[in-house]
Amino acid sequence: MIVAARNQSKFRVAALAGVLAGVLLAAGCTSGGGSEGHGQASGPPAGSAARAQPLQVKLVTMAKVPPGGPSARRAAEQAQPGLERFLDRYLTAAFVDAAGRKGGWGGLLRLFDKPVRASARKQLDALSLGADAAKVSAVRPGRASARAVVLYGEKRPAAATVRLAFDGTADTAKGSGQVHLRSVLQLLATGEGWRIAAFDSRTGPPK
Amino acid sequence: MTRRGLTLAATLALVAALAAGLVVATSPPRPATAQDAPAVTVQRAHAASATPTLKRRVVLLTIGSDSGAPRFGRGGSVESGRADALQLVIIDTVKKRGSILSFPRDSYVPIPGHGTNKINAAMSFGGPRLLVTTFEQLTGLTIDYYALTSFDGLTDIVNKVGKVQVNVDMNLRDSFAGAFLDKGRRNLTGGQALAYARARKTLPGGDFDRSRHQGQLLVGGLATYQRQVKEDPAKVMTWLGIIRDEVKTDLSFPELLRLALLATDVPASGIKNIAVPSVAGSAGGASVVRLLPGAYSLFGRLRAGKLS
Repeated sequence: MIVAARNQSKFRVAALAGVLAGVLLAAGCTSGGGSEGHGQASGPPAGSAARAQPLQVKLVTMAKVPPGGPSARRAAEQAQPGLERFLDRYLTAAFVDAAGRKGGWGGLLRLFDKPVRASARKQLDALSLGADAAKVSAVRPGRASARAVVLYGEKRPAAATVRLAFDGTADTAKGSGQVHLRSVLQLLATGEGWRIAAFDSRTGPPK
Repeated sequence: MTRRGLTLAATLALVAALAAGLVVATSPPRPATAQDAPAVTVQRAHAASATPTLKRRVVLLTIGSDSGAPRFGRGGSVESGRADALQLVIIDTVKKRGSILSFPRDSYVPIPGHGTNKINAAMSFGGPRLLVTTFEQLTGLTIDYYALTSFDGLTDIVNKVGKVQVNVDMNLRDSFAGAFLDKGRRNLTGGQALAYARARKTLPGGDFDRSRHQGQLLVGGLATYQRQVKEDPAKVMTWLGIIRDEVKTDLSFPELLRLALLATDVPASGIKNIAVPSVAGSAGGASVVRLLPGAYSLFGRLRAGKLS
């Protein structure tokens, strides 16, 4: 998912901008001033790895409750901690702990309901660091936010739809870059906790 | 510095700036190196989606009961009534297509332990399980699940999901069922959907038209569900909640969820609405519907997986 590369076209545009700036400066049409650089994406500031934030999923939960069940607010409050833990587990397995991995995605795949696990195995690149995990030495979590709609059963959450957004920084031998995940996960509550029963997921630059 | 000196300096600066810029601009691209850090990361995008993989063929019997609807003056329990709307929904989960077989409620068929009778009586004799057994014996298909609702249930489902779009195939002026609809694509309220499913007496094809309309309602419901879920994936939870509250079924909740997720992936256009070949007749002075040989060959094709 992550490829370290110099953006050559940006470099050329910057050079042409330099020509133009020189002309303008010489003509006295500008007061001069500092340049914003070459327009390249910024890498991590020195020492940023040391200041990496721990993964923290900001989750907003709504609940749909059956007639005679708890209030929607109470149901949402009850479902929230378990969902947060699950999403934390997912992002940790898919990104944070995936750095340097050369296979062995069992921990992540166990978070999928069995009828969808084979599909998940084939599409790891859209669900996690995927094939590029081996190139990554560390993932520093950034924003992780989610919105969940939970369907409440008689006494406990039964299913949920979660819109999940995760941004982080991946460190490689050649530098650092951004990782992004945008997913809609359909979750099923099982005896073993939440499991992903269906997904629509995307990694790469946010649209 | 003199004015002439200033002009010369400015000219030299301009020439130098132009020269420097042109040199850089016309130089061949430099290969990326680790020394270019901080490296710019370019990401390849990956997208994926998946719904559950279920067994190859799922067969669901949908039942509309004439009981358990207090708002329509229909007492008793929904399971002990007569089954007045009967559709066999067969989904090929691999090819993502399917068929809805609509059975006239007066189909005169063998009911295990109860001789031969109208098929809708099977549920009043032995609940949904006997109805399922009757269908299995009739068609030779294994029925995986049933889903049962009442007049109240159907109207509530449609009203709660916010109307169902149906291709109404004829102008309807049926005061018996309260169906007053013009031909064409219509967004039906709960009351209109029920009327469309019940209208029979004024229709040219009577019970045959009615059972076809019931199948159209199911297809319309599927299309409405898919449209809503496409706009907002959380609508899956809305529909599941409504179905849980309004439908009696032997589907466990996980199975219901998986089926609902699979249903997002089976285009409504890939569902055939088939009326089981049959003809009006009589038995013991009562009007009944007799299945034609074509019905049995249809069942055979379904068993062989030639028609899903």
